Amino acid sequence: MTATPRAEVHTPLPRPSSRLERFGRRQGWVVGVALLLAALILWRSSQIPAFGAFEVRGIVAGTMTLALLAMAQSVIVISGGIDLSVGAMMVLGNCIAARLMLDQDLGTVVGVAVLVVVVAMVLSGLIGTVIVVSGVPDIVVTLAASFTLAGLALVVLDGPGGGTNPRFQELLVGGFDQPGPAILWLAGVLLVVWLPFKRSRLGIATYAVGSDRSAAFLSGVRVGRTRIVAYVMGGFFSGLAGLVTTAFTGSGEPRASIGATATLTSVAAVVLGGVALMGGSGTLLGPVLAAFCLALIPPLMLGLGWDPNYAEVARGVIIIVVVMIGGLLQIPRRSR
Amino acid sequence: MTATTAEPAARDWRQTLVDRPAIALTGVLAVLYVVTATQAPGMFTFNGVRSTLLLACPLAILAASQTLCMLTAGIDLSTVMTANFAAYVAANQSGQGPLVALGLALCVGLAVGLVNGIGVGVFKVNPLIMTLGMASVLLGVVTVGLVGDGFLSGSTRLLPVLRTVASGTLFGPVPTNLLVWAVVAAALIFGLSRSGLGRAIYAVGDNPVACRLAGIRIWQVLLAVYLLSAVLAALGGLLFSGISGSVGPDQTNAYLLPSVAAAVIGGTSILGGVGGYTGTILGALILTVLNRLLLALDTTEAFRQILYGLIVLALAWVYVRVTGQRGA
Repeated sequence: MTATPRAEVHTPLPRPSSRLERFGRRQGWVVGVALLLAALILWRSSQIPAFGAFEVRGIVAGTMTLALLAMAQSVIVISGGIDLSVGAMMVLGNCIAARLMLDQDLGTVVGVAVLVVVVAMVLSGLIGTVIVVSGVPDIVVTLAASFTLAGLALVVLDGPGGGTNPRFQELLVGGFDQPGPAILWLAGVLLVVWLPFKRSRLGIATYAVGSDRSAAFLSGVRVGRTRIVAYVMGGFFSGLAGLVTTAFTGSGEPRASIGATATLTSVAAVVLGGVALMGGSGTLLGPVLAAFCLALIPPLMLGLGWDPNYAEVARGVIIIVVVMIGGLLQIPRRSR
Repeated sequence: MTATTAEPAARDWRQTLVDRPAIALTGVLAVLYVVTATQAPGMFTFNGVRSTLLLACPLAILAASQTLCMLTAGIDLSTVMTANFAAYVAANQSGQGPLVALGLALCVGLAVGLVNGIGVGVFKVNPLIMTLGMASVLLGVVTVGLVGDGFLSGSTRLLPVLRTVASGTLFGPVPTNLLVWAVVAAALIFGLSRSGLGRAIYAVGDNPVACRLAGIRIWQVLLAVYLLSAVLAALGGLLFSGISGSVGPDQTNAYLLPSVAAAVIGGTSILGGVGGYTGTILGALILTVLNRLLLALDTTEAFRQILYGLIVLALAWVYVRVTGQRGA
């Protein structure tokens, strides 16, 4: 006829993704880290003739602090922030606990433990409030807070010292050949505290705020309150980390450099664990597994007969390379 | 042309402060200096002024590298390790003459900056992570080099030229290291406001997408920034070793947070695109005087740290309030 037939445009229907695909997309990174950790543990176990409960306990209890700090950092990073004071908060918790727990019976010690966690939550909430109210960038506020918290730790305990109840130590990190308590505590915190939080309105709001603050605000999320809650949650985990340090070392140590190193390692664990620094994505399991991977490097090097000082080099290279690979993997997905 | 009603006048006043943060910062510095003088005697003598300038210099140079990185919305957490490493190498190789030793220290800076720049610029690794990883690597390299018969073992002797430049006195209250500082400051202030690279640094920090569309090769800008940052860090480390009279694998570590704080107090936004080196100079001076004040107070190290953190936070808060430069 007159008009040439118009070429029909076929828009292919979006294919519904299968359960496996969705799982792969959401949890692929965590599964990868878990496989890496499994490989590292297998490698480590092959290095020691008698790899048993004693070694496992050493690894788990020794890394628990770092794992908890990685959780603290993760919640805050998911909400779109960053906290360079988690390590100092842990040191402060450690010092308060060690000072008040010295020569006390178990009941008092548990009371002190609750107090430490509450103090950490309040202080961290305060930091979050300052960030939200003042509009000063989070890096700056938490950097300044890390000075102040380290100072507070020195006020509480002016040098290495303090102590705790041996029963409390066993309850939290287990005896020399009992990896049970530490594993149970970590799993318990993830299952009883994190999972319900993540599923709750607040948890969903946290992801929304981290993903796009304006969009979250326009959908009726109370952005300021949600960000503060993320810092309170961070304080909960940092406080626990302080308690675990007390239980693991049996004393308090107010050295600021411990906090600074721990903070930087927590950021590394968060990134390796697949939590995007942009916020809004990731889980807490990934950073916990990544913390274990990072902690396994020095003993592995020792087992190989290398200078364990190379562990620091290896750690840095691994962090950079993994993030690079992660970036390369994400390029095809980016539409911008 | 301008209407002289009350309201615009108030806005003009604010706008002036926003446009020229140096005015407000100079005021803060002056007040702080006078307050310090009431606590610590001799602040108004030649010696008092000289020691303030002397101590502020390495901090200001380390803060210069943070300023550059922050203008591109980055940060360099490896500065202090680079500074330590460079100073150590220079002292370790001082037997080969000052030129070789200083050249090697400079090479340390260039190498670190090259890797950082390639990571951040080409592979788009988050700067925080890239430089954090680099700090880790450098710490390991230095530690390994020190043990046994590693490449850094052996005696260290500070270069005489470093000692002269870093802790000598030019005349009256002016320490010799002010010369180095002045050259760095002039180059940065002029370069950032007048050169193509300087404008590109601001542009990349302000809006990378627009930059790409405008044809700026972002990776080249970032590479240049991280190279400069690491070279400045090496310079800062050398000057610090000249002041302290010794070298150590972790001697400037305590400067990491103050170097970021100096840039922030000086009005450089950590989100990129806003700020400059003039403010950072004042920030470094403010922090140095603040440190002096806290040392003069009859109190414990613990309270000093608490106060330091609170005052830095308060300064940043006031700055953000006055200028309306809110973080995202």
